[in-house]
Amino acid sequence: MREELLSRAHDAVRMGKAAGADDVVASAGWGRSLEFQWRDDKVEKVQENTSKALRVALYVDGRFSSHGTNDLDPERLQRFVSEAVELTRALEPDPYRKITPAELYEGRADVDLDLVDPDLTVDASGAMTREERLDWIRRLHDAAHADESVISATSGMMDSHSLSARVTSNGFEGTQERTSLWFGAECTIQDGEKRPEAWRWIGGLHRDGLQGPEEVGAECLRRVLSRRGQKKVTSRRTTMVVDPESGAGLIGRIFGALTAGSIQQKRSFLADKLGEQIGSSVLTLTDDPLVPRGMGSRLYDGEGIASKRRTIVEDGVLKTYFVDTYYGRKLGWEPTTGGASNIVFGHGDKGRDAIVSDVQDGILVTSWLGGNANTTTGDFSFGMRGHLIENGALTEPVSEMNVTGNYLDLLSRLSYVGNDPVPWSAFRCPTLVFDDIQFSGL
Amino acid sequence: MNDITQADRGSVTSLMRWFGVDEAILSRVLSEALSHGGDYADLYFEHSSDSSIAMEDGIISRASTSVDRGVGIRVLVGDQTGYAYSEDLSLSAMLGAARTAASIARGGGAAPQDLTPKDHQELYRIGRHWGDVGVREKIPLLQKTEALARAADEHVEKVVIAWGDAEDRVLIANSEGVLTGDLRPMSRLWCSVTASKDGETQSNGWNIAGRHGIEWYDDERIAHLAEEAVKRTMILFEARRPPAGELPVVLAAGASGILLHEAIGHGMEADFNRKGTSIYATMIDDKVAEDFVTIVDSALHPNERGALNVDDEGNETERTVLVDGGVMRSYLHDRISAKHYGVKSTGSGRRESFRHSVLPRMRCTYMENGPHTRDEIIEAVDFGIVAESFTNGQVQIGAGDFTFYIKNGWLIEGGKITAPIKDVNIIGNGPEALRRITMVADDMKLDTGGWTCGKDGQSVPVSQGMPTCLVSQLTVGGENA
Repeated sequence: MREELLSRAHDAVRMGKAAGADDVVASAGWGRSLEFQWRDDKVEKVQENTSKALRVALYVDGRFSSHGTNDLDPERLQRFVSEAVELTRALEPDPYRKITPAELYEGRADVDLDLVDPDLTVDASGAMTREERLDWIRRLHDAAHADESVISATSGMMDSHSLSARVTSNGFEGTQERTSLWFGAECTIQDGEKRPEAWRWIGGLHRDGLQGPEEVGAECLRRVLSRRGQKKVTSRRTTMVVDPESGAGLIGRIFGALTAGSIQQKRSFLADKLGEQIGSSVLTLTDDPLVPRGMGSRLYDGEGIASKRRTIVEDGVLKTYFVDTYYGRKLGWEPTTGGASNIVFGHGDKGRDAIVSDVQDGILVTSWLGGNANTTTGDFSFGMRGHLIENGALTEPVSEMNVTGNYLDLLSRLSYVGNDPVPWSAFRCPTLVFDDIQFSGL
Repeated sequence: MNDITQADRGSVTSLMRWFGVDEAILSRVLSEALSHGGDYADLYFEHSSDSSIAMEDGIISRASTSVDRGVGIRVLVGDQTGYAYSEDLSLSAMLGAARTAASIARGGGAAPQDLTPKDHQELYRIGRHWGDVGVREKIPLLQKTEALARAADEHVEKVVIAWGDAEDRVLIANSEGVLTGDLRPMSRLWCSVTASKDGETQSNGWNIAGRHGIEWYDDERIAHLAEEAVKRTMILFEARRPPAGELPVVLAAGASGILLHEAIGHGMEADFNRKGTSIYATMIDDKVAEDFVTIVDSALHPNERGALNVDDEGNETERTVLVDGGVMRSYLHDRISAKHYGVKSTGSGRRESFRHSVLPRMRCTYMENGPHTRDEIIEAVDFGIVAESFTNGQVQIGAGDFTFYIKNGWLIEGGKITAPIKDVNIIGNGPEALRRITMVADDMKLDTGGWTCGKDGQSVPVSQGMPTCLVSQLTVGGENA
């Protein structure tokens, strides 16, 4: 498949050049996944997915466009690319839009990121059989359903294998391959008039090292049972502890304001903050594309730029932005990379439970509900649910409340970063503690 | 395909020709899908062709197109689903996918019924199909919008205009003899504005969208789009966050239908009720709101994003009354749930693409007019807010908690609108919020913005609408507890 994708990408570059493009970037991708779902007493759904597609980016007389298709019939593809080149000619010249300079391709790390589990690839002899998969999700389901208040539980697993090849007219060639396995359960209980729900899904690029189905199902059940009697409490300012799985929903939003595009378009509250304190001294964020088995790991980015580890925020001071070649040229800045790979937090030495036990009075956020953030001003407001923390212990479940503020203020209130990052997310966020945060409720 | 005229391009015959299939091939694939004894099988052929253009820093700086096509094959055994798709429309590839989908069943073969082609109503009449409209015709729409937005206020610094259009062909055949199809247009024009004033920067945007042709984007609509985008940005310089806590919330006519979508619409999707996971699972025929509250989900509003000639299972579509005079009446059904409840499908079976299995989904959700007026409603509020434009919403189906994020709104003090507000989340509980709708005005309008609904990882276009109404109490995520 790797050779086929490379050859399709090379062909597409040739087609684009032949149709009159000055430069062409082509990527060919292939993916296969299998999904199994179990609900209550039987299989709910079995689904198999296989996709193959091609994308081309065209640079024609100073103009730019990009195109994708999964219709790979040679004759129709030829016509698709020719028409795409013609369409590009109808646009306006953009002096900042050029193919990635070849020197940025150089220095690609010569390491094995270990992104493929041989047992999760399509032709694997060690792949789980249908019967093994069904047994796995049935066990998951049974663990999640093991309480009489449970109305319904659904469990599932999905494994996938994907490959992509990228070729450009100025000498870039690369392929990326990865596998992944995800599984988990969702569960609903009766609680008076209400039917609270919870879920637990985990995953990884490899199967080994993951918890078993019973542990994951039991965690799902524990979570949903902890929601019994959830209610809103009075509005207050108090300590906010954010569970590792919820951190990305809060902190991930600031990355929209760290791109050169948002700065050049004047939609970033972090513009003009380079070298300045944007958070408390415990905030250290690294973009690390080379984490073995990392969900966001890569040897080159979407523009072909060779991946490097970069410190984004160090002791609260903003060190760099995400600069792609296009907005870099508009701003006159050196390109770095267009977007985050794996975000790794500098951290303390305690996990969530130890952190909670040190809090006298506060609220633990276990999930967000809706809300939004304004990257131009840094204002945010999110719905949440979680638990009260009283004298170092989790007490009543709270829900139907909002957390509202501004990111610059929020980040300055970060007082502790835990040592328990979510391993199966590219945003490897641990437990976070913020002092004196606005919650609105009754 | 040159012999196909404009009018019949969406007919079953044309669509079969487009996908290179005939009744014999469809029956052959359906037979294979039922070869292990499923109760039912369907084929969903889709060819979608999308185009987008962006204007930034004063130039038409990029465009993109995409083509995606394939056939999704679904086999049902009771409420169990086997699903596979093929991007390759050769008979051998389709038979392979059919065998994969068939594996959900464990038994002997069943035979599909003979297919009878059926055409349908036409809810999205447009001047020309998007496949016939060149990029050179679209570019002036972006340029006009951009020029108007730039000229509207001296503080405007950046304007980004984005255009998108799509043409989606579907052909649906099932083992009960249904053979139908649809040709679905879609288009949208966005205007995003960033302005700076006294060292402060604010940004906002506005968009207009629907199953419209290029003729719909006339000078008047474009002028209105640019004006709204700039006005809603400039007001943010004056706007503040409201106080935190429980407040009366007046939902302005139009986009406030997001409350219905989150607070009740999702909970009325029958899959959640069939599984018992919705807070509304046992509330059919219950009095859930005041007599003047009637809530509808309809596929029949011409050219709306949520308009559908047929649903994605080939069912006829309809106007479904969810709440009638305050009484909860009907869920939104797809085939599986309609069978489960022993009722006729409401034509709500939808999917994002041929890669996805069907779920019951909303189409165009709104509340009908009530007995009050907007002025009466504002006057009735001593201290509260008006929610006017929104950027996000979400719901927990079982607990009933829902949220929506207010981008623009107003403070009401002593029965009068006094000051603009911004960037605040509202959270409430579905059944409680329904009970707390105490006034409904007579000014219902559907929102012209482009809403997209996400569920189980699948996005589908929807519409929503609302008359001005008062919810006596919701939790406002403000400042200063």
